[in-house]
Amino acid sequence: MSIIKTNDVKKWFGDFQALKGISMEVQEGEVLVICGPSGSGKSTFIRCINRLEQHQEGEIIVDGIELTNDLKNIEAIRSEVGMVFQSFNLFPHLTVMQNITLAPIWVRKKSRSESEEKAMELLTRVGIPEQASKFPGQLSGGQQQRVAIARALAMEPKIMLFDEPTSALDPEMIKEVLDAMKELALSGMTMIVVTHEMGFAKEVADRVMLFDEGLMVEENTPTEFFDNPQNDRTKLFLSQIL
Amino acid sequence: MDLEYKKSIAWIRENLFSSIPSSILTVATSFFVLGFFRGLFGFAMASDKDWLSVLNNMQLYMVQAYPEEDFIRVWISVGLALVFAGMSIGLWKSTEESSLSDVFSKFLKVSLAFLFFTVVAPTFSSVTDNDGIIQTEESFPMETRLQLLIPSAIFVVVFFVLKNVKLNYKFNKSDLLCFYLAIPIVLLWIIKLPTIQLDSSNQRIIPDPLMPIADTTKIPWTIIFGLFLAFYFIGSRFKDSKNMKRTMSISWVLLPLFIFSWIFKKPEIDLPTILGQDIPIFIGIFLIGALTITFINNPIVEKYFSIYLGVLIAITGIALFISIPILLKSALLLLVLFTIVIPAVSSSAKGKRNLIIVWGVSLFTLSVLIRGGSSDTQIIVQQQSIFGGFSLTWLLAIFGTYVSFPLGVLLALGRNSKLPIVRLVCTGIIELTRSVPYITWLFFASVTMAVFLPEGVNFELVVRVLMVTAFFSGAYFAENIRGGLQSIPKGQYEAADAIGMSPFQKTSLIVMPQALRAIIPTLVSSAITAFKDSSLVTIIGLIDFLTIGKVIIGTQSIPVNFVGHDRENLLFIAFFYWIFTFTLSRRSMKVEKRLGLGER
Repeated sequence: MSIIKTNDVKKWFGDFQALKGISMEVQEGEVLVICGPSGSGKSTFIRCINRLEQHQEGEIIVDGIELTNDLKNIEAIRSEVGMVFQSFNLFPHLTVMQNITLAPIWVRKKSRSESEEKAMELLTRVGIPEQASKFPGQLSGGQQQRVAIARALAMEPKIMLFDEPTSALDPEMIKEVLDAMKELALSGMTMIVVTHEMGFAKEVADRVMLFDEGLMVEENTPTEFFDNPQNDRTKLFLSQIL
Repeated sequence: MDLEYKKSIAWIRENLFSSIPSSILTVATSFFVLGFFRGLFGFAMASDKDWLSVLNNMQLYMVQAYPEEDFIRVWISVGLALVFAGMSIGLWKSTEESSLSDVFSKFLKVSLAFLFFTVVAPTFSSVTDNDGIIQTEESFPMETRLQLLIPSAIFVVVFFVLKNVKLNYKFNKSDLLCFYLAIPIVLLWIIKLPTIQLDSSNQRIIPDPLMPIADTTKIPWTIIFGLFLAFYFIGSRFKDSKNMKRTMSISWVLLPLFIFSWIFKKPEIDLPTILGQDIPIFIGIFLIGALTITFINNPIVEKYFSIYLGVLIAITGIALFISIPILLKSALLLLVLFTIVIPAVSSSAKGKRNLIIVWGVSLFTLSVLIRGGSSDTQIIVQQQSIFGGFSLTWLLAIFGTYVSFPLGVLLALGRNSKLPIVRLVCTGIIELTRSVPYITWLFFASVTMAVFLPEGVNFELVVRVLMVTAFFSGAYFAENIRGGLQSIPKGQYEAADAIGMSPFQKTSLIVMPQALRAIIPTLVSSAITAFKDSSLVTIIGLIDFLTIGKVIIGTQSIPVNFVGHDRENLLFIAFFYWIFTFTLSRRSMKVEKRLGLGER
């Protein structure tokens, strides 16, 4: 059953057309990796899925709910879709624990003790339970990104979106974040990952897509995608990146 | 000790005399500073200065014409504030400790300052005699200087030695603060001050004999200090209780309102109005709010909630402009504010029950304050309002900040709003208020405002001044806060959106806390400005702290002639303002440091 379905999604920034009609489906439990050169619209596309950007044409249906201007629908979808950003975007004035429990307490209306228990569990899962009482500014980039993953997971989302989660990290910290993501993928989470980490795509992804100039130019299983690319654009991209 | 000496020599060489220009600068500045203090001391000690004009008029300075038989109200106000302070210092008891040498170094600084005075103060100072001729006279004879020099030098040496003896006693910083506060209280009982005495023909006796401080001053202060200590200990007992801290914070917000509307004002209460008007309004509005909270999760209510809210806002909007009891207006306003928050807060049964309690308590508090504030006062002060002197300055400063700060937050949010009408209105208010000088607004309050108020509505002059002050400094606060809002990166908004927060939650939990933290220095300087600008009210006939010294005492001839002694009063006023503003800015630096923790 498809949990995300988009149909001919188009998006303009002023005169510039960022998305030129994207139609795709994501099945429940599937891990989808989107890659492509910068400016190809891949980030814009996943940001449309939880309405951080507004698409102008086409339709996006997430978990049976269509994204429209209705605020209720947007909030419902956002609480089902977790997102991890390139620049972490943790709340600097709150501790790690408060960062994670904020949404469960205020949006899901759970009790503080229950949320804190759950938060500790998630921190253990991403491997940094000892950092709970620190402030984000006191952590390394890799640790911050793992806190960001825990924060998104605290809402118990059905879908996780990753917008270049490792691009802002030092090379030695990339692995710890990718490990946390792999673990998440193996647990059966539906994930859409925008990344240039081809190793991750090969190992974990069920499907890989290539975006170029606002269009999806190739979609395939990882083995086919890397070993037997169909499109010339994909061949060029792979030759540059590998 | 030898090492320390070498270190300080090295420091001086490195920082003060590192190059020829720097040496010149150091010497020149030292001369300038010394000259300044010589002038200041000489001015203060000249025999034509009558410092009794300050000392003798303390009561006038503090409360102006407030009737003496009601002074107990003033003491209760001061006492409440200090009791709250004691409780808070206890609740937020510092965990830091000072060693004994820190204490002695404080005493060393005081004795050094005294030594500095005895050394620097000029022997001769210029005096204007009765014919207006400036003469030089010996105001600080050498033998007096020696008499003071020897003890102060001894103090300096003693404290310097004590400071450097390594004694391993540690004191809690909050305990120490209480100890320091006890010093002036003890001094009250020990020192004797010159007191003006009149002879049989009502002529002033000079020299004025030294007398102990009056019982009416020292006994209340001692009692208040005793209560301060008691509540300090109670507070430190409860220092782990979050609820106590929360209650205390709210109490601080309510305290000035309560003091000014009930204690200081002594309102004239008439029972039929309370029974026939206040209580029905309270019950009615309370029920509306409570029912909304109870049934908010009912699907039908949820469906029509936005319509209900819209109707409520419309009714309140109309109610503000028709002549109904002011309590009803404010209660409706509070209801609207509460109703906006309800969906964000209440869902579980426990949450609902808590919210109903909060709603009831806040509505009750509002009713009590409005009743006290809108009733006539029983205190009669000739021609003037019951607020004068420092109590007026303080009132304007506190309310200037209390009312204008939330107003500033709202205006700043409104100016950033996506809704064009809200944005337009808020921008209009801010720009209109800021583009007109404060003095013009004061004249507007005193002369013009009555024209704009509905028939039958009439506020006291002080209240009208408070209203324009609130808007004036509110506009400045709004612009500061807007600056803070712009410093929040876009990613913070996106992250809050992505975890499904509502706009209200996003603003109150993510954006505002960060924005306010970023602008603490500007906020404090705005508050200081509001405090000092309050002295401008003198031009519309209110008698504030500054006016007392400059105008009232400067022309005072009964019972004692102080005509022309306004210069020493001005110096005193400057010093008095400085103490408050300096304390405020030092406090804010500490707060900044503490809150900055998250940023690091």
